[in-house]
Amino acid sequence: MADTINQSGRKGFLVDTSKCIGCRSCQVACKQWNKLEADKTANMGSTENPRDLTPALYNRIRFIEQESSGQTVWQFLNQRCMHCGDAGCIKVCPSPGALYRTKEGSVVFNKEKCIACKYCVSACPFNIPRYDSNDKVAKCHLCYDRIAAGMSPACAKACPTQALQFGNRNDLIKKATAAKKKLYGVDDLLGLGVVYALEGPPEQYGLPAKPEIPTSIFLWKDVIKPLGILGFWGSIGAVLLHYVTVGPQRTEETEEKGGSHE
Amino acid sequence: MSNYIERFSTRQRVLHWIVTASFFTLVLSGVGLFSRLFNGYFNFFGGGQNAILIHKIAGPIFFLSSAYMYLDHRAEISSFDSNDMEWFRKAGGYLSREPHHFHIGRYNPGQKMFALFIAVATLVLGITGLFIWVPTAFPRWIVQISLMLHGLMFVGSIMFMVLHVYLATIGNPGTVQGMLYGDVRKDWARHHHPRWYRERTGGK
Repeated sequence: MADTINQSGRKGFLVDTSKCIGCRSCQVACKQWNKLEADKTANMGSTENPRDLTPALYNRIRFIEQESSGQTVWQFLNQRCMHCGDAGCIKVCPSPGALYRTKEGSVVFNKEKCIACKYCVSACPFNIPRYDSNDKVAKCHLCYDRIAAGMSPACAKACPTQALQFGNRNDLIKKATAAKKKLYGVDDLLGLGVVYALEGPPEQYGLPAKPEIPTSIFLWKDVIKPLGILGFWGSIGAVLLHYVTVGPQRTEETEEKGGSHE
Repeated sequence: MSNYIERFSTRQRVLHWIVTASFFTLVLSGVGLFSRLFNGYFNFFGGGQNAILIHKIAGPIFFLSSAYMYLDHRAEISSFDSNDMEWFRKAGGYLSREPHHFHIGRYNPGQKMFALFIAVATLVLGITGLFIWVPTAFPRWIVQISLMLHGLMFVGSIMFMVLHVYLATIGNPGTVQGMLYGDVRKDWARHHHPRWYRERTGGK
């Protein structure tokens, strides 16, 4: 089951970090729409809260705190599933339909079909999927239920500053490029479904400069797997060929009369 | 005088079949995890989640029995002499119909290589299996490398297994009897393992 993507009909986010005020309306709206339980958190000496994604937190604001002439300066990044065009999670998922791509290009999940192997956790270039207490996958699904009904995702709907814009991915990129924004995720992994307009290098936001499916995962799925299937049938073919050409090593009864084979 | 000679004791045979049964249980329950092509194999176990459970039960059984089998045979399978080198040079005589004359002991070098590979594979599959067992408890890079190595060792094991089953059954008639009943025909032993035969019988 190849994972293919239709770029022209693809929907996505443009996250303009210069407009984000860190209000976390997106976090709250996501929880509310998806009926996600609250997570108990602890004060870790930072305004950032919670400190990581959880099975009940599909997106969150990452606070990048910097000292600038005695004052704390913040940058904000909305962290979530990137809905990669070439998605590591779909690539490794052994259960058809547990992780799949919608016609709008989102990567969504079906807990009923998830078999709890957790391969997607290892294959994600951004370390996004989480597992809930029932051992089922959980992550942002780009509110595919709302999109299917013609609405925008809960987070984008709630954003008061247009930092989170949802729409046709190509249009959003065109507009942002025209506005001379520095974009992240336009072409990586066949394009991310979440494109960021950043005000600094990606690393500053905790994003990989060049996001890729981990090399070992690539070797596992794109090299070892096909070679393995070839090797299995190849070795069966080889022994059958041996059987009908050279043939088995028969032990003749007549050899009993002495160690002629020494 | 009996026409047969004991090759494997009851203990060795039972151990071998425990290894075999757990190996094929692991293959059947794991092949659906290896590739989505084999998703249908999950049905034997009542779904993917059950297959994973069975895989996690068969895994330690295979690891322990296979490790024990290695320890049991480690002296016999890890030393190679000049006769073995001769066997390697002529690929055990398997590539031609010409009669061959090798001075082979209890195990031929192909069997030794197979046993050593399975020993290494057991270790690698066991260790990487632990990381894959609870992936969220370990750093991501360890689990990622484990998934790759687990797959690689699986591929190697299954290919060796095809060869092993062929050579032990229709490839060398008379061989599988040793593993089924413990006894092999004397002429079989003289043909395939002449040095071992001489050591056991004093040449008779």
